[in-house]
Amino acid sequence: MSEAVVETHGLSKSYDNKPALRSLELNVPRGSIYGFLGRNGAGKTTTMKLLLGMLRPDAGEFSLFGETVRSEASSVAARRRIGFVSEGKDLYSFMTVGQMIRFTRPFFPGWRRELEEKYLKLFRLPLNRSITKLSKGMRTQLMLLLAMARGAELLVMDEPTSGLDPIMTEEVLQALADLAAGEGMTIFFSSHQLAEVEQICDHVCLIDEGQKVLDGVLDDLKSQYRRIVLVFDSAAPAALAGLKGIDHLRRAGRTASMLAHVDVEGVVARTQEFAPLSVEVHPVTLKELFLDHVRGE
Amino acid sequence: MLWYKAWLETRWRFCFVAGSILFAWAAPLWAPLFHLRPPAGIPASRLWLAVHMASVLLYIFAAIFLAGSGINSQTTYAATSGFHPSMLFTLSLPVSRRRLLLVRAGLGALQTGVLVAIMAAYTLFARPEATTAPQFLTYLARAIVCTMAIYALSTLLACVFDEMWQFYGAFLSCIAAFLLQYRISVLSWLSPFRGMSLISYPITGPMPWASVIFSLVLTAVLLYASMLIVQRKEY
Repeated sequence: MSEAVVETHGLSKSYDNKPALRSLELNVPRGSIYGFLGRNGAGKTTTMKLLLGMLRPDAGEFSLFGETVRSEASSVAARRRIGFVSEGKDLYSFMTVGQMIRFTRPFFPGWRRELEEKYLKLFRLPLNRSITKLSKGMRTQLMLLLAMARGAELLVMDEPTSGLDPIMTEEVLQALADLAAGEGMTIFFSSHQLAEVEQICDHVCLIDEGQKVLDGVLDDLKSQYRRIVLVFDSAAPAALAGLKGIDHLRRAGRTASMLAHVDVEGVVARTQEFAPLSVEVHPVTLKELFLDHVRGE
Repeated sequence: MLWYKAWLETRWRFCFVAGSILFAWAAPLWAPLFHLRPPAGIPASRLWLAVHMASVLLYIFAAIFLAGSGINSQTTYAATSGFHPSMLFTLSLPVSRRRLLLVRAGLGALQTGVLVAIMAAYTLFARPEATTAPQFLTYLARAIVCTMAIYALSTLLACVFDEMWQFYGAFLSCIAAFLLQYRISVLSWLSPFRGMSLISYPITGPMPWASVIFSLVLTAVLLYASMLIVQRKEY
């Protein structure tokens, strides 16, 4: 495996004794576009805030760029190499677009003027317009510009395309893909838009209730997992839940749908003991993987 | 650039307080237009004392209003509840929280100091008796030092509570401290309000060292506590 830009070990965090993250193990390889998926409240934003030093872990540790982050000084050093886009896309209401750029630029010695100009042009951001007068989409664009132009090695993005129209979403996704491919930048982002994650991510991690439930190379996951759909002449038997080798099972009337990723042929063979009328095996989409892992039965 | 941000963030607050002071001090110009005049027969020294007391209240108001909200982002004028989400952008910058607080509190303190200097200059040079430059500078130094204790208290509260409660909390704390100094003799000796006032310690009298030193120590302790809170706080 290539060098990890983000690595977490047993990372845990609770709010008022309610666990938000439970022993999270992450490994984000350098140069990857890493989709971090989960339902609302699954722990995605908490993970990002921990990585950026906004929160402190209750247990566990993490490293950024190979250095374990234990102190504020090491967090500050790591943040010089990180671009961040927050979920709310909130910037300073008392600044204009130009002031926001002038303010951010000096913090990052590796600021990329050419990227600043490129994205200013692409996003058509008016330099003199106040932040308060920008639409959410424009604020998102400005945040992306500020994150991408700082010459970061890692972009941490919480729902980066929320509030963007489909054309702009496409442009942003293309920009992210270009940054990863052309600049070797690592992109760690959360999104609810599974289609866009599938479009650009090469790695995904799915968390639910603060725990990792699935992660890996997206193509590998999609090639390993299969959906097996069984149709019965009466209600699908509950005993299917005990079938060896299945990950998730959903029953609805006469139909049972299960997900398997190890020995799929063996699972199909074992379904015969329940005498189904038909058995179909389908490839899976990321959406199906997501739904089955966070919903399950 | 943090100074630049702090200035853009606070400039209208600073202008608002400065404007309020100018408006109040310009009363002799606009009050007659509304037929507002002091009752006849009040000696000039009494009128001046009222102006001075109003100045001290304005020192306190400036200290609380300009103390900011710790390292939180602020809106232009109003105190708001909760913290502004743009804080996340600030915290993602490669800057320590200590530096964020130092710059923000530093600029607010500077603005407060400038306003106290303007108000002190006005009141002292409007005094019926002549004021010498050393007298003015001595008073200015103690007024700024003592006002900084209020400023530091407000900063500390801003690091614990959101801006709304910082505002109320600082005013209520000042009222409580002001009243307590009349009940507890040691407080009256140490009170920063005494150091600000020319009633407790007239300009020709001795320097209120106890009040000044206590204010200095209190400011340092409160700012240090603010620093510790900001460094431990989770966002």
